[in-house]
Amino acid sequence: MASTLVRPTPPAPIGSTPPVEFGIECPGFTGSLGTLFQTVRDGKIDLLGIPVGPICVAYLRYLVSTPEPDIERSATALLVLAYIVERKAFGLLPSHESDSEPEPELEEAEPWVHEFLPVIGALQRLADQRDQLFFRSSDAIEIPYELPVQVEGVSSLDLARALQRLLDRAKPTEPPVPNRPRRSLADQMKVVLAALRREPTPLEELVTGEFTRTDAVYWFLALLELIRLGQAQVVLGSDGVLFSRAERR
Amino acid sequence: MSVSRTLEALLFVADSPTTPEQFARAMGVPVFEIEEALEKLGGRFHHDSALQLIKIAGGYQLCTKAEFAEAVARFTQPQRNRLSRSLLETLAVIAYQQPVTLAEIDSVRGVDSSYSVRQLIERRLVTEVGRRPSPGRPTLYGTSQQFLHSFRLDSLEDLPSLEGVLPITVGATLPPDQPTLALDE
Repeated sequence: MASTLVRPTPPAPIGSTPPVEFGIECPGFTGSLGTLFQTVRDGKIDLLGIPVGPICVAYLRYLVSTPEPDIERSATALLVLAYIVERKAFGLLPSHESDSEPEPELEEAEPWVHEFLPVIGALQRLADQRDQLFFRSSDAIEIPYELPVQVEGVSSLDLARALQRLLDRAKPTEPPVPNRPRRSLADQMKVVLAALRREPTPLEELVTGEFTRTDAVYWFLALLELIRLGQAQVVLGSDGVLFSRAERR
Repeated sequence: MSVSRTLEALLFVADSPTTPEQFARAMGVPVFEIEEALEKLGGRFHHDSALQLIKIAGGYQLCTKAEFAEAVARFTQPQRNRLSRSLLETLAVIAYQQPVTLAEIDSVRGVDSSYSVRQLIERRLVTEVGRRPSPGRPTLYGTSQQFLHSFRLDSLEDLPSLEGVLPITVGATLPPDQPTLALDE
């Protein structure tokens, strides 16, 4: 018996196969299913005026009655119908904001950097004028450890001195213990927050009992983080920096 | 030893802007005396010196007068790294909108600004000032003390005025609704 080798058609990816030209004719729309899909997708038609249910029923009847339907095209058509049903379902959902003013359409924000053009020029002129001045150091100031937050009258050096005083009181750090659970800064912040008082207090008075150098560093880091988050305050006293709990906003 | 002369010596050795409070602590005299002496010194330098006393980046510092710039530059041969247009643009957005996230900078400029922001951080003109309490906790950027120094500004209030742009948040501080830790007390 002679046989013919037929190369099977490779499956097409979903969406690349056009849906079958299934004609629709109803009061709100006349055209193919593909056209309906495009107009819905582009927001060019009000689906509330289109009887989507009967269209789906009609297509399913057509599909069932077709002896050998094209699976790819049928699948695409069903996908299109599912999309249209979903869009209509969204459209039928009750709107809670019907009494309020309609929301403005979301539009992609346009760049508005052009509004900065005058100051860009002004900044360039300021930089040029600054280039005419020469300071004690060869160029600009060097701030090795610039504070990430603004603390009135307290420099990074003042804070470093406070840490140094604490470190001077600490015992040497114990040797590391294998598999010791990692310490969390968040946990330490709870400890520090509980220890902070309303009145400004030196760091040495806040840390009581015996502690290691590692403890001292944890204390200091937690304090810095609390200052950054606005939950602790630092002021400069006569003998160095003082820490207190920030007033709640 | 007069306050004025001691102050002159400290100003000579200071390599960064120094506040009257810092001078007062170093010299053990009241701040008002320092302020008076600074005013007197400023006048003296103005009339009879190649140096001038200026208020910059929140403090006072001595520098050469502009008329000697050419001679000093010939002598010191400084490396000037001018900011490119895109860096200056990014810097302006940060300076006037701070604290600001990278996404907001991108939105204003209409282009990806991550490289420019990194460059500005490397030049110490921009610094991280916190995180916004919104999904993803994006990093907030603001200008640094170095920025004020590089543009000869005393504070952010001295920035050239910009009509129509949202008000400047003076100081690299977090907004009032900054994140707070929910810690058990």
